[in-house]
Amino acid sequence: MSGARGPLDTDVAIETPEHIVFHYRVAGPARRALGHVLDLLLCYGGVAVLGVVVWLAASGGGLETEELQATAKGGFGLVLLALFAAQWVYFVVCEAYWGRSPGKMAVGLRVVTTSGRPIGWRAAALRNLLRAADLLPVAYLTGVVSMALSSRFQRLGDLIAGTMVIVPESARAARALELSPPAEPRELRDLPEHVVLDAEERGAIELFLRRRHSLGTARELELASVLARPIGDRLGYAHPNPSRLLALVYDRAVNAGRLEAPSSWHPRERTSSKKRRAGEARS
Amino acid sequence: MTVASTLTEKAFTERRKPEWEALDALTNEAQRRGIKKLEPDAVLRMSPLYRSVCADLAAAQAARYSAPLVDYLLGLTAAAHTVVYGPHARGREDGRKGRIRQAWLVAFPRAVRRFKREMLLAAALFFVPFALGCVLTLRDPSFAFRVVPEAMLRPLTEAYAKGFDAGREAGDGAFMAGFYVYNNVGIALRCFALGIFGGLGSAFYLVQNGLSIGAILGYVASQGAGENIVVFIVGHGSLELGAIVLAGGSGLSIGWSLVAPGELPRLVSLQRRAREILVVVAGAAVMLFMAAAIEAFWSGSSAPREVKVAVGGTLFVLVLAYVLFAGRTQDGDLEASGDDSPEEPS
Repeated sequence: MSGARGPLDTDVAIETPEHIVFHYRVAGPARRALGHVLDLLLCYGGVAVLGVVVWLAASGGGLETEELQATAKGGFGLVLLALFAAQWVYFVVCEAYWGRSPGKMAVGLRVVTTSGRPIGWRAAALRNLLRAADLLPVAYLTGVVSMALSSRFQRLGDLIAGTMVIVPESARAARALELSPPAEPRELRDLPEHVVLDAEERGAIELFLRRRHSLGTARELELASVLARPIGDRLGYAHPNPSRLLALVYDRAVNAGRLEAPSSWHPRERTSSKKRRAGEARS
Repeated sequence: MTVASTLTEKAFTERRKPEWEALDALTNEAQRRGIKKLEPDAVLRMSPLYRSVCADLAAAQAARYSAPLVDYLLGLTAAAHTVVYGPHARGREDGRKGRIRQAWLVAFPRAVRRFKREMLLAAALFFVPFALGCVLTLRDPSFAFRVVPEAMLRPLTEAYAKGFDAGREAGDGAFMAGFYVYNNVGIALRCFALGIFGGLGSAFYLVQNGLSIGAILGYVASQGAGENIVVFIVGHGSLELGAIVLAGGSGLSIGWSLVAPGELPRLVSLQRRAREILVVVAGAAVMLFMAAAIEAFWSGSSAPREVKVAVGGTLFVLVLAYVLFAGRTQDGDLEASGDDSPEEPS
């Protein structure tokens, strides 16, 4: 196992060969149950539709000839085969091919190995064969107990196959924060030339700035003042509006006075840009 | 405090964005259509792109760029990671067919022999209650009612008493085939799965099934249709009963790996054994599919009983020989247990 436990108990960290550490959020019982109910509806709905079709075909034909009767019986054999597939084949095939069943896809879940890789046939077969044990005595009670006791919400099938169910983070590009309206000279007069924020301060301000539009004005100012006071005191900078103060300080710390990339930053002129950077770092 | 990068986040993003978007597009396409269907040069671009975005992520984390940017890169690399290290990236294109043949001819019988202790125990757990149920019912037919409901036994007896001279209609055969697959394969798979409770679930299923099948046989025989039911069972019995025993033995085996893991942690021992034994479970399921076809279309047919017995006997010898001798090398089963699992148990 290459991963270490993360700070949260639903967080699993996995290190790849590229020395990148992924954090996965492990899916809890409620979300998985919802996905499973959707899967069951799909499966047994499919079997029911097939059953109704066969039944209609059989009764609609009037069953006059023996030949037709025999065909109808054969049709119900097909329904039983479909029932078998719904119980034992559906999950194995879906998860082996796509890493998730349609129900899991609908609620945004994915099955991966405990080392974070997509699962193969064996793991898919094992974790779904063991469903028979997990759903005992009723309503997946064994599975839920096993999930409660394991560190990654694993039911017995997950434990034996070495898999876990995660909530994959979607890759969405977030817009960079911009100072609006632009800073006025009056506001910048007292602001120090170099503002250094540590990672936690920076993270907190960023979180605040991204959420502030969804807060009421009073709440925005109240929250901002919690952060603005110690930071303002440290920098010796004051502003009547604490929220604006945070935005100004953040902008200065992150963009350090230049909002655009230096003109030398083009791959073709890589050598010159390196020199330029070395010069900047020294100064 | 030192600043890790002199590049502003905005400049970094602008400069690297084309590659991120290229990787995002490739990943989406690979997830939608499968990596095998991508153009050759797209596959070639995938891995360097993935690595350079990994480097971007590391740089962004070191330079403490904003959380959304880092999250975005994490999501992007995670999605690409699933594609680059996916199951299709591991095997060779030509591997699958060879692997399936190898599993049938070598891995399955070898695994059965390798775990012969468990398989023999499973056979005992099945056939001793089977014999017991049969003998007890022959001495006192009412014993059967304690094991199997009377409402099920009576029509069964009537059906066997009629014999098979009339044969079965085609529709009946297809219906019964579906029923046998649903019922028997389901029992076998459940019998394996419940082995996780220290093997007790498998043992229970084996004993219960042995006892009730024995009781049915004894009861039908005591009502004077013994020859018919034996002729019926002999056609597919070697496959069907054999497969139940193999599935039960696999269940006992994973149960035992949990109870007595040796030097390994219990979980690791269980995971390894489950991977090794899975081929036996799959083999048992296939045997039951074959048994269902035989049971539905041949065992109940109007073929003469001598022919049925001869075919059933031949099948029995073939199954036994297959399990005992297939895949043996001169040195026995020592080399290449067929476990070339690329997914290491963790």
